[in-house]
Amino acid sequence: MKVLLIVPAYNEALNIEKTIKDIKDNTDYDYVIINDCSKDNTKEICQKNEFNLINLPINYGLTSAIQVGMKYAKQNGYDIVIQFDGDGQHQAKYLKSLVEEIQKENCNIAIGSRFVTKRKPISMRMLGSFLLSIAIKLTTFKTIKDPTSGMRAFDKKSIEEFVNNTSLTPEPDTLVYMIKKKMKIKEVQVEMKEREFGESYLKPWRSIQYMTNMFFSIIFIRAITRKNK
Amino acid sequence: MTLTLRVILIICSLMSFFLCITKIKQSKLKIENSVVWMIGSVILILMSIFYERVEWISIKLGFIAPVNFVFFVLIAFLLIEVFLNNIQISIQNEKIKDLNHYIALREKEKKE
Repeated sequence: MKVLLIVPAYNEALNIEKTIKDIKDNTDYDYVIINDCSKDNTKEICQKNEFNLINLPINYGLTSAIQVGMKYAKQNGYDIVIQFDGDGQHQAKYLKSLVEEIQKENCNIAIGSRFVTKRKPISMRMLGSFLLSIAIKLTTFKTIKDPTSGMRAFDKKSIEEFVNNTSLTPEPDTLVYMIKKKMKIKEVQVEMKEREFGESYLKPWRSIQYMTNMFFSIIFIRAITRKNK
Repeated sequence: MTLTLRVILIICSLMSFFLCITKIKQSKLKIENSVVWMIGSVILILMSIFYERVEWISIKLGFIAPVNFVFFVLIAFLLIEVFLNNIQISIQNEKIKDLNHYIALREKEKKE
C-alpha cells in the first residue's frame, strides 16, 4: 500500500517544519507539501529542508491545492491519499488507524473524527458542525459525526473521483456526493490540537459564508447526484 | 412614451452600437461577444422608432405604461447577459486552475 499525505500550506512558515517532523517521526508514509503561493517564506523553508514540495504559481485556495495533490497521487500510483493540514492541528500518530480502517473495513473514505466516542463540546463552531451533520443525515440517511474534520483518507476510487470531477472540494458537501456515489465512509476517533501560530480560515463573516455555501451545495446540488450505473 | 425618452433611447442605442463596432475594429472585443450587444442596441433602436407597435404589445400584455415594457425587455436582456457572463467566468476560472496545476506538476517533474 502506497500512502501519500497531502499537506496543503498557505502562509504556514511557522508551523510547517514542526508538521513535517511530526510526520517523519511517527509514520513512514510519503508526503507532499502543496505550497499555495504563500506570501511568507514557506517555500524557502521547504526548499532549505529539502521537503517534498509542489509549488503552485497562483494562489487558488484549499480546493485547488487538494486537487493538485490528488493529480500528483494519481500520476505516481498511490493507493491511499490522506489530507493532513499543515497548521499543526492534526497529529501524525493517528494516521495509521485511518489507513488500517480503509484496509480492514474495505471502505473508500476514512474520516479522522473528533466525536466518535467523545461528545461534542458546546460552541459556535460545533453548532455549525451539528447543523451540517443534520443536513447530511437528511439528504443521505447516514450519520457523519464530524463532517468538518479536515483529516480524511481517500482510497483509489475516490482519488479517481477527485481527479475527474473538478467541482469537488475537501469539504462536507463532497461527503454527500461520495455517499450518493455509493462510497463507504467510516469514522475513526482522533484527537486534534488548537492551532498555535497563524490565522485560521474561519473568521466570523467567512464562516457564515462557508455555512451558506455548504447548505446550498448539500441540499440543492449534491443531494441530487446520480448514482453510478 | 414621451418624445424625450424616445430621443434618449435612440441616442444611447446608436452610441452603444458604434462603441461595439469601434471596439471590434481595435480588436478588443471578440465578434461572438459583440453580436449580443449589437442585437441589443438594434432592438432598442427598433423599439424607439416603432413605438406604436411597442405601445400596442404592452397594452395587450397588460403593462400600465409602454415604457415599463421597454424597461422590462432591457432588464431581461441584461439578466440573461449577466448570467451567461457568470458561466463564462466559471469556465475560465477552471481553465486557469488547470493551467496552474499543470505548471506546478511540470516544475515538480523537472526537479526530480
